[in-house]
Amino acid sequence: MLVSSVALLLACSALLAYDVYTFRLGILDNLSTESQIIGSNSVSALLFSDSHAAESTLSALRASRHIRYAQIYTPDRRPFAGYWRDGKVQAQALPAIPPGQTQVHRFEGNGVALASSILFQGKPVGFVYLLSDLQSLNERLKGYTVIATAVLLVSLIAALLISRMCQRVISTPVIRLAEAARAISREKDYSIRVPAPADHDELSTLVVAFNEMLDQIQQRDTALLRAHDELEQRVQDRTTQLAAANRELEAFSYSVAHDLRAPLRSIDGFSQALLEDCVDKLDSDGKDYLHRVRAATQRMSVLIDDLLNLSRLTRSEMHKETLDLSALAKSVANELQKGAPGRSVDFAIEENLSANGDSRLLRVVMENLLGNAWKYTARHSHSRIEFGRSQDAKGRPVCFVRDDGAGFDPRHATRLFGAFQRLHSTSEFPGTGVGLATVQRIVRRHGGDIWAEAEVEKGATFFFTLSE
Amino acid sequence: MTRIVAGSKKAALALPWLLAAVSALHGELPKPTESQVQAAYLYNFGNFIQWPANTALGSSVSFTICILGEDPFGSSLNAAVADRAVGGRAVVAKHIMNAAEAPSCQILFISSSEDTRLNKILQALNRAAVLTVSDMPAFSDQGGMVQFILKGNRVRFEVDLAAARKAGLTLSSELLKLAARVKGNSAAGGQ
Repeated sequence: MLVSSVALLLACSALLAYDVYTFRLGILDNLSTESQIIGSNSVSALLFSDSHAAESTLSALRASRHIRYAQIYTPDRRPFAGYWRDGKVQAQALPAIPPGQTQVHRFEGNGVALASSILFQGKPVGFVYLLSDLQSLNERLKGYTVIATAVLLVSLIAALLISRMCQRVISTPVIRLAEAARAISREKDYSIRVPAPADHDELSTLVVAFNEMLDQIQQRDTALLRAHDELEQRVQDRTTQLAAANRELEAFSYSVAHDLRAPLRSIDGFSQALLEDCVDKLDSDGKDYLHRVRAATQRMSVLIDDLLNLSRLTRSEMHKETLDLSALAKSVANELQKGAPGRSVDFAIEENLSANGDSRLLRVVMENLLGNAWKYTARHSHSRIEFGRSQDAKGRPVCFVRDDGAGFDPRHATRLFGAFQRLHSTSEFPGTGVGLATVQRIVRRHGGDIWAEAEVEKGATFFFTLSE
Repeated sequence: MTRIVAGSKKAALALPWLLAAVSALHGELPKPTESQVQAAYLYNFGNFIQWPANTALGSSVSFTICILGEDPFGSSLNAAVADRAVGGRAVVAKHIMNAAEAPSCQILFISSSEDTRLNKILQALNRAAVLTVSDMPAFSDQGGMVQFILKGNRVRFEVDLAAARKAGLTLSSELLKLAARVKGNSAAGGQ
């Protein structure tokens, strides 16, 4: 509304200004013509100094009602003859005409004055000065203002009515649409629909399209929820299956180990009986064979125990707590030293290393790693075993156990953590090959990982991380 | 008493000089003399009168104003016509002593010194296309065309239209409306 009225006002003002301008030019033009007519008719009167004749010429100006005052001057600018519309007053001085011009005009106050020189055969013979009022211009302005105001009012009222109508037809439906969209976004209720307007125009098309889009969204939303529920269900099913599988596996491995133990006990028992009861019937070879059998059965027993432990470990519950790894490592080291007091080994254990994990399982890790280090440095007269913490390439804390013992060929590193995988023969170093597999299982259950670096006869370093 | 009278006498003597001085201070030009006005009129007549085509004027390159008899104008006529033209012809002022030379003029001013010989002069002209002007009294009554008269300190003129017509001259209405009296016109003109 404001914009249209401002625009209208500007347009009217511009037109008015232009009209006033052209009208003024017209007035000036008329005045100029009148002064030329007066001038040419006064030539002879001027030449023959007949002021009466000049005055009678001027009195003809009474017909031009807008001319208030007229004066003819002699070439030396003295008043010669005058005309006053509203009663005689003093003669006015002639304004100067700039050289090179024959006329000069000025709009002053409530009138316009025109002074021009009268030429006869190219020579100035006098001057004529006309003073006209701007009555006609003022009347025109007044009339124009009235009409402009009337037109402005009428068009403003019309604009108001039309805008009201447009609002009803266009704005209201659009606003309703926007509000519905906002409500849907806010409350995530996709069942909201916008009622379509009755008439079949572009707006109703928009509303219908909007509603269709909402249908689509609602369908997708429902499908999404359904899929989500389905997934949940599937996960649950899998978990149940997995748990069942686990239980089966546990039962299997337990029974296997148990069942395997019985014949083993038999073999061991009867071998020992043979050794004790039939010692004089056996020769040295026989005794040797029986010793070997017993050693093998004992090894197998240990293997079965390790297997059982391994399977149990992967299934048992973890109780996580903050514990002192350094103390744990020191305790394990003490036990190892007690087991073989003759050995000369340096334990370099970093102080104040703490970790968050299951104490039982982590003890197994330390026993295995430090035990391995102890084992594989047995050939050296003096060894050094380190346990500490450093940082990996990304700056995360990594624990390590380092020894300067036999080491291993790094080309076979992938086999290190496989169950029953051994990189050395039993005659070199005893062991079942389950230890590192166990350690890997435990470390992985803590959310970490384990890897190793080594060189043959230059020692090995085992790195592991616990939860991130 | 005597001192006041003597004083006022001196003031009376001084007055005209004072007035002249005052008017000079105001920057007003000195009022033209009667001769000067007449000289200007003589030249201006040329612009408001039509001469017939097949006359001395037709082949002439100049417009001649002649003075017959005693010259009352002195330098004023020469000043009035200097660098002027009538109908494209340069205006020339001439002083003649003999009426026989008159027909070669376009305007002839007959000085009042010739008032006794007026009839002979007019006869010599005898329908020649010459405008006869004079300021001698009763000039127009004796057949002159334009007579200068003094009316209330202003130089006016009377016109005998019939005489002018006889010479084949056409006087513009602009001129006639300014004349104090127009004779020989069927429609009444002037006062």
